[in-house]
Amino acid sequence: MTESAAAGIHPQSAATHAPIAPTKIKVRDLHFYYNGFHALKGINMDIPEKKVTAIIGPSGCGKSTLLRIFNRIYAIYPKLEAKGEIVLDEENILDTRYSMNRLRSKVGMVFQKPVPFPMTIFENVAYGIRHHEKLSRADMDIRVEQALRSAALWDEVKDKLKQSALGLSGGQQQRLCIARGIALKPEVLLLDEPTSALDPIATGRIEQLVEELKSEYTIVIVTHNMQQAARCSDLTAFMYLGELIEFDRTEQIFTKPGKKQTEDYITGRFG
Amino acid sequence: MQANVGAIASSVPQEARAKRDARNDRLFSWLLKGCALLVLACLLGAAGATLWGGRHAFGTFGWHFLVSDAWDPSSDTYGALVPVYGTIATSFIALLLAVPVSFGIALYLSEVAPPWLRTPVASAIELLAGIPSIIYGMWGLFIFAPFFADHIKPWLTNYLGDKPDDGKLSWVAQHVPFVGKLFGSDYPFGASILTAGIVLAVMIIPFISSVMREVFQTVPTRLKESAYALGSSTWEVSWDIVLPYTRSAVIGGIFLGLGRALGETMAVTFVLGNAMKLSPSILDPGASIASTIANQFSEAAGLQKSTLMALAFLLFVVTFIVLLIARWMLRQMAHKEGR
Amino acid sequence: MATDSSLYTQRRIKNIIALSLSVVATLIGLIFLAWILWETLRQGIGALRPQLFTKITAYGEDGGLLNAMVGSLTVNMIGIVIATPIGVLAGAWLAEYASGTKLGESIRFLNDILLSAPSIVLGLFVYTIVVLPSTALTDGSTTFSGWAGGIALALIALPVIVRTSDEMLRLVPSTLREASLSLGIPQWKLTTQILIRAARSGIITGVLLALARISGETAPLLFTAFGNNYLTFNPSDKMSSLPQVIYQYANDPGEGLHAIAWAGAFVLTMFVLLLSLASRLVLSRNKVSHD
Repeated sequence: MTESAAAGIHPQSAATHAPIAPTKIKVRDLHFYYNGFHALKGINMDIPEKKVTAIIGPSGCGKSTLLRIFNRIYAIYPKLEAKGEIVLDEENILDTRYSMNRLRSKVGMVFQKPVPFPMTIFENVAYGIRHHEKLSRADMDIRVEQALRSAALWDEVKDKLKQSALGLSGGQQQRLCIARGIALKPEVLLLDEPTSALDPIATGRIEQLVEELKSEYTIVIVTHNMQQAARCSDLTAFMYLGELIEFDRTEQIFTKPGKKQTEDYITGRFG
Repeated sequence: MQANVGAIASSVPQEARAKRDARNDRLFSWLLKGCALLVLACLLGAAGATLWGGRHAFGTFGWHFLVSDAWDPSSDTYGALVPVYGTIATSFIALLLAVPVSFGIALYLSEVAPPWLRTPVASAIELLAGIPSIIYGMWGLFIFAPFFADHIKPWLTNYLGDKPDDGKLSWVAQHVPFVGKLFGSDYPFGASILTAGIVLAVMIIPFISSVMREVFQTVPTRLKESAYALGSSTWEVSWDIVLPYTRSAVIGGIFLGLGRALGETMAVTFVLGNAMKLSPSILDPGASIASTIANQFSEAAGLQKSTLMALAFLLFVVTFIVLLIARWMLRQMAHKEGR
Repeated sequence: MATDSSLYTQRRIKNIIALSLSVVATLIGLIFLAWILWETLRQGIGALRPQLFTKITAYGEDGGLLNAMVGSLTVNMIGIVIATPIGVLAGAWLAEYASGTKLGESIRFLNDILLSAPSIVLGLFVYTIVVLPSTALTDGSTTFSGWAGGIALALIALPVIVRTSDEMLRLVPSTLREASLSLGIPQWKLTTQILIRAARSGIITGVLLALARISGETAPLLFTAFGNNYLTFNPSDKMSSLPQVIYQYANDPGEGLHAIAWAGAFVLTMFVLLLSLASRLVLSRNKVSHD
């Protein structure tokens, strides 16, 4: 990786801008293949710490695929292969020696559809924690409450923690999944189209929550909703056909995009 | 900086946990695999145990065992022909009766019946599959066999058989070859190969018809609609479009029923009469492999026990092959659907 | 509009005949069902009396079926207790570990064959591996036993449970797996604590169906549990069972024994039909709660 090639991938590509924040995740020359299909073609990007980075692009552009490499969740399926480097805090997470456990306690993920476990609300949050830490009952109670409060769900569920999580509404379930993710105190939170299955009001609450969470977490959100990217991200990456076309400050992307393809997508000419 | 120190400190127990998880995962997957391999062990074990148990019989009688109709415990001579013939004859009759009826039921439930009637009728037919085979046996022995002896058998022997009650041969018995022998009988009771075939047919109808109904429902609607659009009648769509489209699965379903019929013990044992004697008539009593084992195994010893084991081995191998074909045919259909 | 009206009529008649025959076929199926159930109810209820549940078969026509019912429950329980964990774990292996592998596909295929394999042969298999060795090891003091009967029934229940567990686990959405693994939860915990729990009611349905299936089995018990005219709760003894007594009594010339056999058939049929009803209820309730 030469320095000159790396230069274009920093979001502060215009020389006038100072770096936004220290880099949390460095992606270098990342290629991804499934069943021989070349899905990601040499992605390079630096994701800054404690900011919201949105990834947009038409469906099939590889944005979800990229997100799913950040915590190596793709590895549970056969015939998938990632080449290149993803450096999280100076270590390459694609290195097979990098412990899955450690990676997944550092990088949390929330999926398109809410997936509560078939357990009580309390257990849904406590289940993951219990796997990584031994806590006393009291500490666990505090930890679960904290997570539910951070996910702006506590007030709605505090009286029914012992009830099944399957009885919550879709929006509540999704916030429960966020609570479950942040209960592990990760450093990075990956959100894969977290509002695509929700109504506008529930979507609004999740977006508000993202805004609140970014003071503590590095957030990467994949969305097909451009307004959402514009509303709640600091930086936006535009992907097309497995390539990273442009990566810059959100207001830059949405007002003065540097590339023709980005402009076409933003203005709705395709995708 | 401080955060970094924390990360390193906490990574030591984390690595230990990762190792432990990996080890547990490996042990767990071995445990699961072991359980799954038990399925294989059951099949191999059943084949092996019966082959081992039957080695004396196979060794004593050789290939002659398969074609000999001898069954004489006093001289310790046994042949497989009588029970093998009985097994095949009862199953064949059962298929002959059950296949058209099952097809009719499947056709009715998927194309003809008004929608509100489909689920209740289908559940009722499936209820038949849930009734234990011993109940079929009791019903066959106490209800159906006497009914058969009183109302069906006299008609068959008098109009088709070569041993009518009044001694006057019917036209059919005189002029159509084989029919006279097939239906000729002076055995006065209801137990017979045909009775067992009918009871077996009732038992396997729900199996065959539910497979047929299931696969008929997988035929794409647009395929049927385009045939209806050409002016085809319901019957034409079913016979020309639905049946060819689902052919392999339909054959699979039939073989599945055959597999059931071959191995069925209780329903057959009650109504077959257990005669270790070869008779050309399907109105005479006979024996099947399963009924012979059920009747004789507890009291058998020595070569007779070994013979019963050898018969069980034959039964197992034949049903295995039939079921193999059945599953393979059904799988062809599943592949076609891209499942 | 030149339609050949004779061809049209001919096709119409053919259609009507074929469809009428399909109605006749369905009626045949329903008539046999009604006939069998009706006779079981009529003869069975007519023969029901309290001593069936209080007396043992040793008294013959003046006795009951207590030992047979106790024996049936015992060997069925042994069968289910053995088959359930093995079947669920094997199903989990097929669904979670072996999808797409050659070994996995072969075992799934062979399991379907075991599902309809002749139960009498499985009974002889257990006779060979359990009854004969225990006879040899104990010098003939233990021969046939409730344990052997239970093991034979377990072999019959196993493929039913393997198949339903496999199918039900494959219905669990893969997002649930991803969500758990993204929390760093290892595969074995995911399988035992989340996936099996998510597929729980489907798996229970499979177990109930397996229980219904083995409750009516007679053939494999003939040479394993053997039968016993006295009441015993000890599975190391020979044990009686309901289907076996029905078989024995029905083949006896005594009219009084036939009545008891009908009563036993009635009890057995009700038990089995209730089980399959219960399994349907469990499954449908599950569907509602997951929406």
